[in-house]
Amino acid sequence: MKKSILIARSNFRKAKGQTVAVVALLFVASLMMNLWLMLSTDYRRNFERAHDRLNAEHVTLAVTGNDSALRKFLAETLERDERTVQYCMDDCLEMVGSFDWNGGEVNTEFVILRKETASDRAVGRIEIAEDGGAESGMYFPMLYGTDKNIRPGEKMELIFGSRTVRFPVCGFLNSVMTGSHNCGMSAILMTEDVYGEFRKTGIAPEGTLVSVRIRDREESREFEADLKNAVSQRYPGARMQSNSYSMVRSSRYISQMICSGIVSAMAFFVALIALAVIVSSVVNYIQENMPAIGVLKAAGYQNRQIMSVLLLQFLSITLATAAAGVLCSYALFPAVNDMMISQTGIPYEIRFLPLPFVVTLLCMGGAVASAVWFPARKIRKIEPVTALRGGIKTHSFRKNHVPLKTTRLPLVPALGLKTTFCVVRQNIIVCITMLVLSLVVVFSGLMVENMIVDMEPFIHLIVGETADSCINISAGIEETFLAEMKKEERVEKIYLFHTTEVRHVGGYALMVNISDDFSDLNDQEICVSGRYPQYDNEVAVGAKYAREEGLNIGDEITLTADGRQESYLISGFTQMSNNLGRDGLLTRSGYERMGVLENAGYYLNLTEGTDVDVFQQDVSDTYGADINAVINIRSVVAGSSSVYISLMTMIVIAVLVLSIFIITFVLYLLVKTMLGSRKREYGILKALGFTTGQLILKTAASFMPAIVLSTVVGLCVGAVVINPLTALFLRGIGIVKCTFTVPAGFTVMAGAGLILAAFLMACLLSLKIRKITPKVMLTGE
Amino acid sequence: MNTWKEQMEAGEVLLKTENLSRSFSTGGTMQHVLKNIDLKLYRGEFTVIMGASGAGKSTLLYALSGMDTPTLGTITFAGETISGLRPDRLAVFRRRHCGFVFQQIYLLDEMSVMDNVLVAGLLVNQDRKALIRRAEELFEAVDIPEETRRKFPAQISGGEAQRVGIVRALINSPEILFADEPTGALNSKTGLDVLDTLTAFHRQGQSVVMVTHDMRSARRADRILYLKDGTVTGECILGRYVHGDQERHEKLSAFLREMGW
Repeated sequence: MKKSILIARSNFRKAKGQTVAVVALLFVASLMMNLWLMLSTDYRRNFERAHDRLNAEHVTLAVTGNDSALRKFLAETLERDERTVQYCMDDCLEMVGSFDWNGGEVNTEFVILRKETASDRAVGRIEIAEDGGAESGMYFPMLYGTDKNIRPGEKMELIFGSRTVRFPVCGFLNSVMTGSHNCGMSAILMTEDVYGEFRKTGIAPEGTLVSVRIRDREESREFEADLKNAVSQRYPGARMQSNSYSMVRSSRYISQMICSGIVSAMAFFVALIALAVIVSSVVNYIQENMPAIGVLKAAGYQNRQIMSVLLLQFLSITLATAAAGVLCSYALFPAVNDMMISQTGIPYEIRFLPLPFVVTLLCMGGAVASAVWFPARKIRKIEPVTALRGGIKTHSFRKNHVPLKTTRLPLVPALGLKTTFCVVRQNIIVCITMLVLSLVVVFSGLMVENMIVDMEPFIHLIVGETADSCINISAGIEETFLAEMKKEERVEKIYLFHTTEVRHVGGYALMVNISDDFSDLNDQEICVSGRYPQYDNEVAVGAKYAREEGLNIGDEITLTADGRQESYLISGFTQMSNNLGRDGLLTRSGYERMGVLENAGYYLNLTEGTDVDVFQQDVSDTYGADINAVINIRSVVAGSSSVYISLMTMIVIAVLVLSIFIITFVLYLLVKTMLGSRKREYGILKALGFTTGQLILKTAASFMPAIVLSTVVGLCVGAVVINPLTALFLRGIGIVKCTFTVPAGFTVMAGAGLILAAFLMACLLSLKIRKITPKVMLTGE
Repeated sequence: MNTWKEQMEAGEVLLKTENLSRSFSTGGTMQHVLKNIDLKLYRGEFTVIMGASGAGKSTLLYALSGMDTPTLGTITFAGETISGLRPDRLAVFRRRHCGFVFQQIYLLDEMSVMDNVLVAGLLVNQDRKALIRRAEELFEAVDIPEETRRKFPAQISGGEAQRVGIVRALINSPEILFADEPTGALNSKTGLDVLDTLTAFHRQGQSVVMVTHDMRSARRADRILYLKDGTVTGECILGRYVHGDQERHEKLSAFLREMGW
């Protein structure tokens, strides 16, 4: 063992550059792997921990009304259901409202509770995460505290339809199920005096907040649907807002899912490159140290011992590097955590996680051991005498590639191309690297084009239909309102796009969007297959939901709303992630077979230059109490999307920096290996009169076919597969078809840049040739 | 013999050194391998450099050929000083004016025999057809058949390989051919063939500088320089080689004895 350690140490010293490259790649791979494991295991479980700690509910229902009959009905319904474990009911005020956040606007269902009530709830306790110490005011979900514009002690404006209220912010709250607009509802805690004051305004109707814990949390969606169905049957006109454990768990962790997915992909690719480099290093080691292996064999070393030296050499650096990478990921994690909290809104306490640490070490160790052991088996086949004579020269005599007698290429590129065919292994590594980097370039281009520079495509994908403004009015004034809006100069287009909930009998609750004519919609790609509903017996359902339920176009399904059931034919599949894929489209006449719209949401496109807020204020002033909600959609989208934009910007920058790092290290290693293993050739060529510049170009040119080919293939394949890959990646939130524009100009330019950068890098790294004189190389001094 | 010397000295000086010195630093101490060598080599001359191991023969050859740079002194080739040239200028000098034949032959393993020759030729001559014609003539001259030209170095014999090395060295019609122990790695018969080839080209006017410690090879030279401890300690003029010239052999033997060989 001691001898093996000594030999391994000697090998380290001899191959410092190679060791540095392998260490760097393994370091990055381990760092990312641990980050991914932390994000996908413990970070995700953080939701469950917070859920358990606050004894949070599995189903939340906010229903208008708080009379004793309703309470009694709710209690009986819950107690009758065997799935119910524990429940809690409290008075609340509930209303859709909006406020400024993150450079935009958040529009959400507010559930307003008394501060004292909230902290004492047996189920669904809401804790104060940050208290500014003020005695009077309100507490806001802590997610919104990440925007430093909302600060304790300062007054904050809440807009409910045409009315605005201002209350001081006392601090921030932590609620697992009602802690953000992503949950479908946001809790606000008010001190007794402020609650009373707000209640008196009559802006928000009084309601009951029901929080239920059930036996099997995986049944939360079914339970939610059954509960809502029961309430709507008994109280057809009741306004309800609800969520379930499954929905909230998914929607609060979209960023975490995106981030961990990208990090895992990068970790995998970097590890793959590291392994390819290790395999190449082992093969080179055997070739270059053939006489030394012969000496060891002659001295009585067994094959197993010599192979163990290699294993020891690589495993020791792998384990040390992986441990360092894991530790370094903890240094990086606070920044990632801050970024994640701004989306999840649930605090996460960073702590050492032994399992990801051990898994990272085992995975890296196992992969590296395999990458060393398999090529090292060649040692078994080498006889000591053969090894002492420098091994058997294994040349391929099948073909003289690029014969100088016939080739039309200039000399240096021809020699470079000749070398390409002789260093196939190195070129496979180059190909893998460039393929990965090309995919990264396509991905970055896609994100820059469709998210960072212009958010519109991303919004279309995630949100679906958008316009400038959404105005929800009471059904009674619909005709007048429409007539006025059509006359209004500032309105370019107005169309019904009302969202309400229906239930699929035998399935789940679906959020359906109702329109008179779907050809009015700005986004004509919501329906990803089949067609939009045209008749009153047609419905389009979410593609993800259809897949889960085994529904096909042409199938008949039964929907229920307002206590009535009707059958509909599925005319197409939609994709919108608002309700994680559980959504659909109905014509107005189709919906009215089941129930009546008591209010109607209209989407408006305004003429260019119109100030949306001013327009909305004018409408609110005109229609007063008949306006239920006014939403500046652009502003809401801007507020919600800024988190994704900043997250994606950071990811794109990180992957591009990482790409440059990877390409540099891989080329460094390959050029170094080439200079080392082909020293004799360089010596001969220099002696014959080749200049350093020619040899540098020849070296760089030898990588160029692999670089160019794999980049072009990578870009083409990337352009084809990136949309399906993105859709696959986002399938959890209901995306089945992604139609992002692959920016051809950017991709071509980036590809050319990648090739040029790789070429320049190869030239730069080959500058070492300058220092070597032909005599030194020929005499081996 | 003086006639031969006078004849040579009346010709053009191809290579000239003045105070040529080359030192190496080994383990913190300077080792002076070549010391103040003044030398003239004439166009068309076959010069052999002899000496014991470590005398500095190869170092002198590499310095003369521009493969190594002297520590001190100047080297002039056909009137142009090459000792101060930058490495890339030296490379251009080598490709245009010099040919090399090495003891270890140094053919490129991954190239066919023909490509090994063309790789040197294409550096200087872009006329591919003319170059191929020249290569084929040279191959004919050294008796390398057509099928061998398509083979790889590992598929041919040592003698064949060294003859390919000579073709490669001569492909650009160099003004001077440097040979470092060209028969050192060959058996007696093939070594003799190689010497015959070199002699034949010399007879056609090729200037040759050869390092050797083989008396049989040295006998082919017009002039022999004996190197000892980094300085030229003796010179022996043999004149043009004639096969079976016993007197020439005795003269060389006497010279080498005198030099302490």
